[in-house]
Amino acid sequence: MNPVLTLSENNRRNVAWLGAALLVLSVTLYLALPVVALFFWTTPERVLSTLQTAEVISALYLSLVTTVISLAVVIVVGTPFAYVHCRHEYPGKVLVDTLIDLPLVLPPAVAGLALLVLWGRVGILGKYLSLFGVSIAFTTLAVIMAQIFVASPFYLRQAKSLFEQLDPAFEQTARTLGASPIRIFALITLPLTATGLVSGAVMTFGRALGEFGATIMFAGNLPGVTQTMPLAVYVGMEGNFIVGISISILLVLISFAIMITVRILAGKETFHA
Amino acid sequence: MKRATNPIILSGIICNLLMITALFAGCASSSPIQPASTTVATTVATTALPATAVPLMTQNPAAVITTAAPPAVVISTPAPVFTHAEGTVVAFTAASLKGVSPKLAADFSAMYPGHKVVFNLDGTQALRTQVKNGAFADVFISASNAYTTELTNGVYFINSTIKPLTSNYVIVILPADNPAKIQSMADLAKTGVKIAMEDKTVPAGTATIAVLANLAKSTYSPAWNTSVFKNVVTYETSEPGVATKVALGEVDAGFVYESTYTAAPGNTYLAITIPKKDNYLQTYTIGVLKQTTNSGAAADFENFMLSKAGQQDLKDSGFRPIS
Repeated sequence: MNPVLTLSENNRRNVAWLGAALLVLSVTLYLALPVVALFFWTTPERVLSTLQTAEVISALYLSLVTTVISLAVVIVVGTPFAYVHCRHEYPGKVLVDTLIDLPLVLPPAVAGLALLVLWGRVGILGKYLSLFGVSIAFTTLAVIMAQIFVASPFYLRQAKSLFEQLDPAFEQTARTLGASPIRIFALITLPLTATGLVSGAVMTFGRALGEFGATIMFAGNLPGVTQTMPLAVYVGMEGNFIVGISISILLVLISFAIMITVRILAGKETFHA
Repeated sequence: MKRATNPIILSGIICNLLMITALFAGCASSSPIQPASTTVATTVATTALPATAVPLMTQNPAAVITTAAPPAVVISTPAPVFTHAEGTVVAFTAASLKGVSPKLAADFSAMYPGHKVVFNLDGTQALRTQVKNGAFADVFISASNAYTTELTNGVYFINSTIKPLTSNYVIVILPADNPAKIQSMADLAKTGVKIAMEDKTVPAGTATIAVLANLAKSTYSPAWNTSVFKNVVTYETSEPGVATKVALGEVDAGFVYESTYTAAPGNTYLAITIPKKDNYLQTYTIGVLKQTTNSGAAADFENFMLSKAGQQDLKDSGFRPIS
């Protein structure tokens, strides 16, 4: 005899509320507690003094520079690409659609290995580049390429869905009023989809900032050149735990700062993935 | 919202707060994570459970407890002590034993039928961090005396079981086609040469740094040492990582252990040996951890590793016996 079904309607509703409260709190705490634990592991003084060491500052600087460049490339190249991809039919469009999503499901280490096999010194394309003296693997360029590879799907998928969902009436009206396609794209489409694109850019920034597997495979680990913050956390965690913790705290704070900035800029819009 | 539901939500919140407090209390203790001692919120027991559970017979003990030595090798090891609770031996092992680990696992099971070992292979520094943060292991094979000492001071080992296991020298490996035409150690300082090395936290990394310092003092100059470090393009987090980069041909040279070079199939690498007087002999130690639940099987594994069979496996893979 199921005890729940014998309760009155009122009590049943209370049980449902209790269940809902437990559910919400459990999920919130599961996500929040590990982050909070980072802050409680050590004292703020130790964290601040560690953050001022040369290796942490170089990792921070390198991470921010490479991530900003990666994001810029993804936005500048990805936005027109997504627009063209949505507005036109071309042979192989379905394949391109799938390829956009591929880096999302590919393990980052596999992505790094693939980039190395292609662009490395003895790689399939890389060996022609090295004839000209251009080497990509183990340079900062490799860091940027790895970040672009793993993070671009976030922006491209968002841009794609935004452009698809945009009411074509706006663009068609502008067309009838004599605007060229480029003018339409710049003055009509972009402003209307700006908030959604910004959310895509935020996710891309976060993913690029946290990239580890592809970076360590393709770009290696060299302080000041290719040792980004996630790599510094990994190496620091193994050798010098306090360094790992300090950089982790810094990454959490940066992530929160980005998300809060975006929320303020975008007002009360809710973002969809 | 009905006023009657407020106390319900409040009690839900209090339940969650109690769970968190218990979690923190569990985490705050320095011992490895134990099952939380919180009381379950509801116990609907309609039927009484039996007072004691019947122990499960998972293996037939009669088949395993034997004092007969394995056929091919004559070893004077004590008879295996096997209890019902013992399972697979978990061995946290320095990454440089990666190539020889399948053979070790097979020979261990051959010497002690019914016993199995599973290896967790990673840089010793990573394994040490895992153990210090509560990871479970029966046996720890360390590639660095410094890390062994650190764990001993932290009272992780059963001190009587810490024994030297084997040793390894450092060697320079080059890709088979030698793209940078390196003929000697001096060529490593040439501009444009790409070198892969382990990070200084990895035991192989400290060994490499010591070797380079020795060579700079005895044969080459400090300027040579500086130039070599300028040519380093990546500090890998484990010794096999360096070997992989060299095998792929992406770097011109890498510093690894002799065992990696010896165990690799024929034409994978070229090598430049480093004179013994300048070289750094890395000593590996093996020890059983206090937290082991398979103390008999763990002791057997240590005996196997120190026995003729285990040492022969290591020797065949290029490790040097402990003098």
